[in-house]
Amino acid sequence: MKKLINILLLLLAINVYALSIEEENIATVMKTKIDLVTTLLQNKEISKENKSKQIFKTFDPVFDYPLMSRLTLGKQWKKLSHEQKKEFEELFTAKLKQSYIDKLDLYTDEKVIIKETKKVKKTRIKLFTELIGKEENFEIIYKFHKSKKNKDWMIYDVEIIGVSIMQTYRKQFAGILKTESFEVLLKKLKNKVN
Amino acid sequence: MRLFLGFIFLVLTVYATPIKPQHDSIIDQNKVIVEEQSEDNFEDEFSDEFQDSDGKEIYDPFSGYNRSMTGFNDYMYINILNPVASGYSYVMPEPARDGIGNMFENIFFPIRFVNNILQLKFMNALEETGRFVINSTFGLLGFFDPAKTHLDWQPHKEDFGQTLGFYGVGPGPHVVLPFLGPSNVRDAFSKIPDYLLDPTTAYIVDYPRDIPSDFWSTMAIRSVYWVNKASLHQGEYENLKKDAIDLYPFLRDIYEQKRIKEIEE
Repeated sequence: MKKLINILLLLLAINVYALSIEEENIATVMKTKIDLVTTLLQNKEISKENKSKQIFKTFDPVFDYPLMSRLTLGKQWKKLSHEQKKEFEELFTAKLKQSYIDKLDLYTDEKVIIKETKKVKKTRIKLFTELIGKEENFEIIYKFHKSKKNKDWMIYDVEIIGVSIMQTYRKQFAGILKTESFEVLLKKLKNKVN
Repeated sequence: MRLFLGFIFLVLTVYATPIKPQHDSIIDQNKVIVEEQSEDNFEDEFSDEFQDSDGKEIYDPFSGYNRSMTGFNDYMYINILNPVASGYSYVMPEPARDGIGNMFENIFFPIRFVNNILQLKFMNALEETGRFVINSTFGLLGFFDPAKTHLDWQPHKEDFGQTLGFYGVGPGPHVVLPFLGPSNVRDAFSKIPDYLLDPTTAYIVDYPRDIPSDFWSTMAIRSVYWVNKASLHQGEYENLKKDAIDLYPFLRDIYEQKRIKEIEE
């Protein structure tokens, strides 16, 4: 019987470990991803186009683009038709990627340090990282949520020195939609993507 | 015994298998709608996080003026400051520009010191003092930053706007200042005490002697500071600007969010 209890305890331990590893993985998975991207960026022989292609390949699985599109429109999202939602999602994802590609021009030889993860809520985790620049360091926070669809932890917002990317888009869109129609917003977004 | 273990194994495997919803009976079209609805509800969970942007309108009484001033500043930056800065960086090598930037930051020590003290951040004030002493001497009047590179003493930037924020003064409406860019009522007024603490300021008290030359020398020093700073950050503003769908609210929001963060720290 004692043996049985031992086995039970062992099984329990494995089970607990298996449960928590998902969350703990966030820091390690992000570290491997960020390190991969950093070495890629430091390689001067690869073209910018190839670089961004590979970067998106590593980061796309962790970014929840559909949710981000929904979040930026806030309450307005529900008023849209199915087609409008689809179109906006596509354009906004393209916009996010475009602005990321633009940022690559500014890269010199900064490094990123992963600091810690903080569980803010049951389904929210913040990953604190620091970009080590030449003069100053910048805090970058990746915000994860537990996706209901596939139970994975995915990024829904990035905060750079206190500035939430989602929040800035949200306010701009809200401002535009106050006076203009959704079609105008789509047009403005389209101009920015191309 | 073996049976019991087998039972446990079975229980665990069942437990570990994710429960899959039975969608098969529902036709495709319905599925899309159901999914969309659950996504919509899901969004509500996030509304607490981004609440202030919805519902409540941003109080922005100067938005008309702010918009045109943003346009003016943008024009000045792109067409005047930026070309001057790029010409300057052509003749001045980067290490020299870094050094000049460091010297300015070193001279601004009293602003940081006083505001750290006012916010009761005594350890930071002490570290700042140490930095000033080391960098002014071993760092050749602040040209180099040995306090950071050798001793790992970090600067602690604090200004009077942050001090007021620390004591609970709200930002007030957003104001775009000519040349200086985004600000708010609190931070704009806070520039006055910081200006007086700034050693490169020609003190108003001196005025019976030589106003114009004092004023112009202050302006000249300021210009060197801004051109030097712009030369070290070339292309950054243009890059950031590309992200904006509407420039004024974009810059306003970045500024206000950044200030909240700076005051929190």
